[in-house]
Amino acid sequence: MTVVPAQQSGGGGGSSGLYDVLELILDRGLVIDAFVRVSLVGIEILKIDVRVVVASVDTYLRFAEACNRLDLEAGPRKSPGLPDLVGEITESGARGKSKGALSGAAETISGAFQQARGEGQRDEGQSESRPRARKTTSSRKREEQE
Amino acid sequence: MSTYVYGITASSHPALPEGMGGVGDPARPVRVLKEGELAAIVSEAPEGLRPKRKDLLAHQNVLSEAGAGGALLPMRFGSVAPDDTSVTGVLAERAEHYLERLGALDGKVEYNVKASHDEQAVLHRVMGENPDLRALAEANRQAGGGSYEDRLRLGEMVVAAVQAREAEDAAVLQRALEPAAAAASVGPDSTGWLANVSFLVDRQSAEVFLAAVDQLRKSHPHIELRVNGPLPPYSFVEPGPSEPAETAH
Repeated sequence: MTVVPAQQSGGGGGSSGLYDVLELILDRGLVIDAFVRVSLVGIEILKIDVRVVVASVDTYLRFAEACNRLDLEAGPRKSPGLPDLVGEITESGARGKSKGALSGAAETISGAFQQARGEGQRDEGQSESRPRARKTTSSRKREEQE
Repeated sequence: MSTYVYGITASSHPALPEGMGGVGDPARPVRVLKEGELAAIVSEAPEGLRPKRKDLLAHQNVLSEAGAGGALLPMRFGSVAPDDTSVTGVLAERAEHYLERLGALDGKVEYNVKASHDEQAVLHRVMGENPDLRALAEANRQAGGGSYEDRLRLGEMVVAAVQAREAEDAAVLQRALEPAAAAASVGPDSTGWLANVSFLVDRQSAEVFLAAVDQLRKSHPHIELRVNGPLPPYSFVEPGPSEPAETAH
């Protein structure tokens, strides 16, 4: 069973924990009207990054694919690591997401994002995950030969 | 020279992090401004301060250090006052409110819990619970993956089932952990987790809270939990009176 350990870093100040508490530091805490706040340009993306498992074709196809690969006989937690293929999909999904966030927050908290583990983040219809054209070069070659 | 404010605490706080490195490069030394029963933890505000990783960490570290020694109202990152006098002015003006909040949060810390699904495990779960889904997936598999429409239909059903599970598990999480906390505050939804809840926990009984988290992990292995804490009680400081202190006419 894969269990993500509780982060008992004395004050949550460790760099690995920063990403997880970013929205608390930036979006919670006391605000006093008489004080100004430094510009958070590029970071606002965190707030509007509203969670939807986007009802997109891409998402549907990805889940259908994941189901087809699912070995129902194996039991949910037989192996601690995810099968390679699913691992790859999740990873690329997370990369796509970080990239989107980074383009806005470049040079500000890019470090924090890079520290972030991409686990569990779903691909929210990133354009790069669009299904590739299925026509293979080999079939095309055969057509040419005929 | 403008003043960066980290947090507000009681002037009787026994271990204020005076001299510690704060925001900026080089790190500005932390100072303490006292006003009656209250104290503000501040430093010089560097020019052009931005939410860089280093500065976020500095803010967080100063608060963690101060919070370890006594009750504290953490400021949101990036609060800058025109000068020291305006800080002490605010402390004086809203003393009653801040003292009340400090009293309420005394001995308490925040634990933030983010939950997500292990995708494989949750797929197993929804497939196991739903014979229709299983049949459709099996039919697609037999047909070498199924047609584009078949795959769309399966995917749509699976996504709906997973989403229903997420809502259910978010409620499960809150029910399981709330009894071990003094208060709960639901954070903003975002991609990557199905629940994002902060809990206000008695520092003394943090073990009880963490035991509840462990229990939840055991009973719901398809939910991945990320726990961060103890943290300054960011989510439990109430906003002060809305009238601006200095600019009121």
